[in-house]
Amino acid sequence: MRVISRKMTDRLMKYLSLLVTVAAITPLVWIIASIISNGASVLSWEFLTSLPKPFGESGGGIGNAILGTFIINALASVWSIPMGVAIGIYLSEYDRGSKLGAVVRTAIESLSGVPSIIFGVFAFTLIVLTVRHYTALAAALALGLMMIPLVAKATEESMKVVSEDVREAAIALGIPKWARTVKIVLSLARGGVLSGALLAFARISGETAPLLFTALFSFFWPIGLDQPMATLQVMIYNYALSGFSDWVSKAWGASLILMLIVLTINVAVRGVTRQKYAEGT
Amino acid sequence: METKLEIKNLNAWFGEKQALKNINIKILEKSVTAVIGPSGCGKSTFIRCINRMHEVTSGAKVSGEVLLDGADIYTSMDAMDVRRKVGMVFQKPNPFPNMSIADNVVAGLKLLGGYKKEELAELAEKNLKAVGLWGEVKDELKKSGASLSGGQQQRLCIARALAMEPEVILMDEPTSALDPASTVKIEELVKRLKEYTTILIITHNVQQAARVSDMTAFFYLGELIEFSETRDIFEAPKNALTERYITGRFG
Repeated sequence: MRVISRKMTDRLMKYLSLLVTVAAITPLVWIIASIISNGASVLSWEFLTSLPKPFGESGGGIGNAILGTFIINALASVWSIPMGVAIGIYLSEYDRGSKLGAVVRTAIESLSGVPSIIFGVFAFTLIVLTVRHYTALAAALALGLMMIPLVAKATEESMKVVSEDVREAAIALGIPKWARTVKIVLSLARGGVLSGALLAFARISGETAPLLFTALFSFFWPIGLDQPMATLQVMIYNYALSGFSDWVSKAWGASLILMLIVLTINVAVRGVTRQKYAEGT
Repeated sequence: METKLEIKNLNAWFGEKQALKNINIKILEKSVTAVIGPSGCGKSTFIRCINRMHEVTSGAKVSGEVLLDGADIYTSMDAMDVRRKVGMVFQKPNPFPNMSIADNVVAGLKLLGGYKKEELAELAEKNLKAVGLWGEVKDELKKSGASLSGGQQQRLCIARALAMEPEVILMDEPTSALDPASTVKIEELVKRLKEYTTILIITHNVQQAARVSDMTAFFYLGELIEFSETRDIFEAPKNALTERYITGRFG
């Protein structure tokens, strides 16, 4: 009797967890499927590489928005990734329970909990209001601030797990602390650091609110970093809400491209992570 | 032979717990000293005081003098310089997994900088030859150090320590994680190395102490109980504790 009920419970648990998993995945599959079915039809070489046509004319594309997203993401990355890595190094290798360490940790925690629109408003107040026009640099500031906690955390965590054996080997060779930190510990943690950076990059690729306050939008190719710049996110926002069927279908196409970018990055992260374990660190 | 290391009134603590009590010992140049004793007797702490690795642990403290060629390593030398002169080999082989075999050997020199590529390649070859590993790895120098077998990894770690041209090498149970054949190779290596360096080797295996060492130091509960020529320790120990330990009656 008891054996039977145990087996029943076992089976019940199995199907219950399966059911919940399916329920959780369904919306995701639904979203992906509708983006593909609505977006795939507008994809063409012209769509990917040309400027939007003036309203009312058919054709044209989202080339400027794709380029703009990459430029702004790259700008955000070049300053925030080194900074995030440096903070991670400090927290993992130099902080020995100091007050400063506690402050930095709290700051990182809070920063990762701040809604993204706040970063947009911050960059708006600091830069846009000062120079009196929208600029891609302000977007790079807002998005970079969002990347820092993600990169810092990933760096700290992947450096902390570098084994004590290897650290002792380096100390016993008389290698100075900075060289041990950079050439041994950070080098061993590079897989984790890289996947953290990529995930942060993927994360900001989906942010729209901060961009509305900073880079805003442009119907032209980027002409300068201190100018407004088109991005996929804002293009989707503008076009999807426009109500014009041509623009709405272009918004679906842009969504598909954005989704593919994020998906590619996530696949790359998995590759990097797997490589890390293969090295046996 | 000259005195290489002289240790006077050495005490060491982990927080409140005293791990070494008033150790006095003189180590001769180009000799092998076996450090034996039951687990927790302070052997590891003792050798880690000789390259200032003990102080790396948080809460660790040291007092007394450790004189290397007459100079106190705690007051007249920088910790990094001490560790370059006093090399260390650990219980578990610990090559750098992010470096090739060749780079592992010269890791210390490379990270210090100031060496040309050809010099480093020569030094890698020379030290791999010194540990008898060259023949086994010369065609796969670019492979990761972690790809070698345990015994080979340990010899790689010895080569890495040798590349710094240390005056003293500390070995913390270097064969306890290895198979018998690899153990024999390491023991033979220890005997060869004493031609030009001074070696202290911790071992749990009293037969190993008898095979490789000139002098033996027996530690118990943080104290140096007996220190004399290995033959004397094994044939005529002066202390009853030493005798009981080497005959396997406790430990």
